Amino acid sequence: MHGAKSLAVVIAGLSWSTLSRVGFGWFVAMVIVLALGASVLAVISWYNTGYQVVGRELRIHEGLLWRRTRAIPLERLQAVEVVRPLLAQLTGLAELRLEVVGGGKTEAPLAYLGVAEAAVLRQRLLALAGHPSTAVATGGSQPAGTEPAPPSGRPLHAVRNRDLLISQLLTPQAFLLPFGVAFVAAQFLSEGSWSFIAVASTLTAMAGVLLQPIRRVLDDWRFQLARDEDRLRIRNGLLETRSQTVPLHRVQTVRVAWPLLWRMKGWLRLRLEVAGYAAGEADERDRPDRLLPVGDQPTGEMIVAEVLPGVALSSLPLRPPPPRARWVNPLSRHVLGAGLTEQVFAVRSGLLTRRLTIVPYARLQSVRVVQGPVQRLLGLATVYADTAGGAGAAAVDRDLADAWALAAELTARGRDARRVG
Amino acid sequence: MSDDAAPAPNSAGPISPLEPWPDTVQWQSISTDLIWVELLRLAIGVAFVSAVLGVSWVLTDSWTVPAALGAVGLFALWRAVTIVRAVRAWGYAEREDDLLVRHGLLVRRLSIVPYSRMQFVDVSAGPLERAFDLATVQLHTAAAASDARVPGLRPAEASRLRDRLTALGEDRAEGL
Repeated sequence: MHGAKSLAVVIAGLSWSTLSRVGFGWFVAMVIVLALGASVLAVISWYNTGYQVVGRELRIHEGLLWRRTRAIPLERLQAVEVVRPLLAQLTGLAELRLEVVGGGKTEAPLAYLGVAEAAVLRQRLLALAGHPSTAVATGGSQPAGTEPAPPSGRPLHAVRNRDLLISQLLTPQAFLLPFGVAFVAAQFLSEGSWSFIAVASTLTAMAGVLLQPIRRVLDDWRFQLARDEDRLRIRNGLLETRSQTVPLHRVQTVRVAWPLLWRMKGWLRLRLEVAGYAAGEADERDRPDRLLPVGDQPTGEMIVAEVLPGVALSSLPLRPPPPRARWVNPLSRHVLGAGLTEQVFAVRSGLLTRRLTIVPYARLQSVRVVQGPVQRLLGLATVYADTAGGAGAAAVDRDLADAWALAAELTARGRDARRVG
Repeated sequence: MSDDAAPAPNSAGPISPLEPWPDTVQWQSISTDLIWVELLRLAIGVAFVSAVLGVSWVLTDSWTVPAALGAVGLFALWRAVTIVRAVRAWGYAEREDDLLVRHGLLVRRLSIVPYSRMQFVDVSAGPLERAFDLATVQLHTAAAASDARVPGLRPAEASRLRDRLTALGEDRAEGL
């Protein structure tokens, strides 16, 4: 809630460019006035922001001129996240983010609370959310370091930072960068003209390309995964630490990806989808959906088995589409596959980056069968399994009779899973 | 795969792509008055485009304009034929646990939406639909991709469907 501190810094940073235009004295005056104004505004808004837990509801009220009170029924809570940007880490504060379904963006960011208060509130909210954890979680053997609160519960996996670095060096961006630089340099040498604008634009482009891997490294630094009763605890981040708590029954989809360049290492990546992270947040960075940024096959298998009990990653009964599907997918036919197990529906696709999507039956929202004109000629159809807040899974180009059977089976199993769970 | 849940979909000769389980599913077709609604919509659109083209013909006197008019006419004819067929192909069926909606000719779609996954129901009727005494019922689930829309229902049938859906949804209420 102490927005004042960060705001002042932001404003000072923004005004940096105006320093050259106005004189130094004026600049200092401007900064002071702006900072004061921002501080006053922030203090006012801070005094008018508050929350209270009433029964099974969290109420957040904010605003001075436009008052707004929001009530969040805690049964609908999807995931809770404690985010600590760099500045907040220095000042011992944290932001609490709650995910609920239907919000276009992350709802109810409670910024900023004290770290201890945030942890207590998170515990209380999760307890109220209907799945109280009975056993006292023994704090695992995490490297405490500067972390004030290591994820409690049974530690599952910690990603080694070296692996993370190597994995991001193996992304296309980082891998192709030397070639790009060499190409540009060769062009410059052959033409012999080193104009400033060309060099600057090249550097900017390179920075833009490199930004994503670097961000990933920073975000996933010291990635730790732990299991606490029926919840997953995820901690990560170097400059901005996030600690995310996802109840296991809120996991809608697990996605496994084997990027082309990672295959020589035998690595894979796991993502999970929770309904709260709305599709509206197009920026991938703001979707903290990583379950495992990088890991080898046994680790991935262990984590998948933990998140979706009874699912063995390596022995999913995937069946390829019929041979005539090669007319639509000449190269990737042997990669495609779909299969049903006791608990989940699994779909594999992707030629270069191999992807596997796993949807538990209990999380199915609806089933669709779609047949395009070319597919009709070939007697094929695509079966979609829709989940909340995600793309769901699509088994492409199945034989038509198989598609119907698949759809019937999915509906039936989804119904059974709902009745049990 | 075991077919025990689906009563042998491929036993009864060549299966129609739009009617997967003929034994268990009672398809209801929608009102053919929707044909007129859609045709009127098409006519309005065509009239608008033709008017624009006609004005430009008067102004420019170029030979491309009558050609474009002819193309628009052909398109309208083709659309009229497909509208008639598409409306006939649209259907829905209420099963014990889920609602089935099928539609589309070129791209054929079938949606299966369990009642318990329903978040809310929309009943809407535009001016043209009201003139023909029709309404549209749309089901929404938490997944954005689900599309279960049933147009061209009589108001009585629409409200019956709505009430039934909400009642069943409450019975099996479950959120996510």
